[in-house]
Amino acid sequence: MDIKDQLGSMRAGEISRRTFTRNLLAAGVGITAAPLATRKAMAAAGDQATFFTWGGYDIPELFVPYKEKNGELPNFSIFGGSEEALTKMRGGFVVDVSHPCNSGLPRWVQSGLFQPIDTSRLSNWGDVMPELVSLPGNDAEEGTVWLAPFDWGQTSITYRTDLFEVEGEESWDMLWDPRYSGRLGSLASGGDAWWCGAIKAGVPMDQIHTDEAFEKIAAVMREQRPLLRTYTDDTTTLEQALASGEMVAAMTWNSSATVLKAEGVPVKFASPKEGALTWVCGLMIHKDAPNIDRAYDVIDSLLSVESGKFMINDYGYGHSNNKSFEQFDAETLSGLGLSDTPSDILGAGHFQVPQTQEWETKMNTVFEEIKAGF
Amino acid sequence: MSDQTLQTRSAPVATQATAGRFGRLMQRSEAARGYALLAPSLIFLGVLILVPFGILLVMSFWTASGFGFDTGFTTANYQKFFERPIYTALLNRSLFISGMVTVFTVLLCYPMAYYVAFHVHRHKMLWIVLMTLPFWTSYLLRVFAWKVVLGYEGVINSALMNMGLIEAPLEFLLYSQQAVIITLAHAWAAFAILPLYVSLEKIDKSLLEAATDLGDGPVRRFFRITLPLSLPGVISASLLIFIPTTGDYITPALLGGPDGAMIGNLIQKQFGPINNWPMGAALSIILMLCIATISLVFILLTLFVRKRVS
Repeated sequence: MDIKDQLGSMRAGEISRRTFTRNLLAAGVGITAAPLATRKAMAAAGDQATFFTWGGYDIPELFVPYKEKNGELPNFSIFGGSEEALTKMRGGFVVDVSHPCNSGLPRWVQSGLFQPIDTSRLSNWGDVMPELVSLPGNDAEEGTVWLAPFDWGQTSITYRTDLFEVEGEESWDMLWDPRYSGRLGSLASGGDAWWCGAIKAGVPMDQIHTDEAFEKIAAVMREQRPLLRTYTDDTTTLEQALASGEMVAAMTWNSSATVLKAEGVPVKFASPKEGALTWVCGLMIHKDAPNIDRAYDVIDSLLSVESGKFMINDYGYGHSNNKSFEQFDAETLSGLGLSDTPSDILGAGHFQVPQTQEWETKMNTVFEEIKAGF
Repeated sequence: MSDQTLQTRSAPVATQATAGRFGRLMQRSEAARGYALLAPSLIFLGVLILVPFGILLVMSFWTASGFGFDTGFTTANYQKFFERPIYTALLNRSLFISGMVTVFTVLLCYPMAYYVAFHVHRHKMLWIVLMTLPFWTSYLLRVFAWKVVLGYEGVINSALMNMGLIEAPLEFLLYSQQAVIITLAHAWAAFAILPLYVSLEKIDKSLLEAATDLGDGPVRRFFRITLPLSLPGVISASLLIFIPTTGDYITPALLGGPDGAMIGNLIQKQFGPINNWPMGAALSIILMLCIATISLVFILLTLFVRKRVS
């Protein structure tokens, strides 16, 4: 097609008004469509895996091997609780890898949204601690697994050693202490708080589904509610509140205490006499994962020793790779509330027992009512 | 290349024919012209609002079972709404909070709009743009900024402590209903200033002069002329603020604390961790009905008052 000086030729009368308008329309369509074309092209160039995870795992330190291999970090999408994540994926959100925990594992498998992991494709699989792999419900057929364990730890109390006076032993009573009314905090997710309530109420983990247990736990949660400053799913909120003294004790995971200590805030991660809540989280691959090879790269990267060192040292979480622990002596580990034999820690605390979807719905309904003051 | 020339040759014939038929229809019927103009909005409304609304309505009569839905028709969700106190309490709290937000926002924005409409004579547009300047940042950022302002070691508390007015930080500032009201009143102010300004600007200044000539003082003149004539602006500003803030979710989630939670938070939880979508749908429908009723009563009431005044 020959290129014409449109304005010039119109002035010269060589081109009709109608033709000019038509060419203008063509130009308009072209300009509007141009970004669509480039977006598609860009997506094809940087097709990274999407990792749907908890806040705090979206950092380059955990993806050094991934970046070496693929040039870029994976894409991240963040959730505040694993129930929220499952609901979002059931609503049609497709990711490559997600990050549930042991208590949700059977329900996540049941949802039919995930595919078994072929462990022979993971170079670090040989070093993964077997006791973390053999979680209830993790066995898929022919030696494959549903979940590749990645991190484990505890839900306990982080408290300010200078502001909180411990009476006797460390205990869950600290978060029910009326002396510090309005200066205590809690995680908002029932997946943590309700189970900690069970420990406080003295309900055994395998009895948590009974009606009697429900009432007992609801009663302690109601008792705690007026003492709390706020419930939040955002650990940063709790960490900032602890650092400023707005809160003196809060229910947190290991990482909050480790992060605060690194900043020089006088805090301690309690080992309550009733036992802490213990959990193992891991990685699952979506059944329609668009970048399946890179999904395996994400998992392999998270299971690597580099990531493990970072998890232990900077976050204070346990890692699933045996070799990650070789860098740390027993004293450092026990200071972090960890051990190179996870069964020591997981066995000493209360390990969550997976529940049915009906139970989760009922528990969350009741817990929301309690949080709102009923 | 040759294809293209062929196409361009045959195209005008075809377009002329369709344009002719379409044009005749447009000329003949005024209604058709109207519908043609409305078509984009009608399609938008139909596809993006009415269809989801229908889905929501149907779903609200289902029940959740495990991961799926029991699609048998039941009004159980609506019964549950009235049986369990949490739902009505949160709804009432939401209506109260956004009612307060509406009142405060309109009261705060009216003087600003009044000033620009009557006392600024040059660069009015610049003033309006400057007033909406804070709203160029993201809504979420503004809400979060309020968290910093109201926080335990926030701007207000540190200022008061430095001045020696208080010993310990004021804790009621954050994680309370007040925090939600303050933040929403600021976050939605632009939506009040603009309609108020437009209705004040339209007031015929000669009416004000006439009132003064006939012996009204400034206060009487305001209540007899300016306020009634600016009521359409007040009504639209109130509705523009009341309707979206009732269902607001992020402000109470970040600043409300346990006592400041609103119905929007509960609806989100139903679709999230609680995983009871039918109940969430029922709550949304009830919320919509409530807002519609209140808005209707409000409009009728102001119309009635306006008639009485004039």
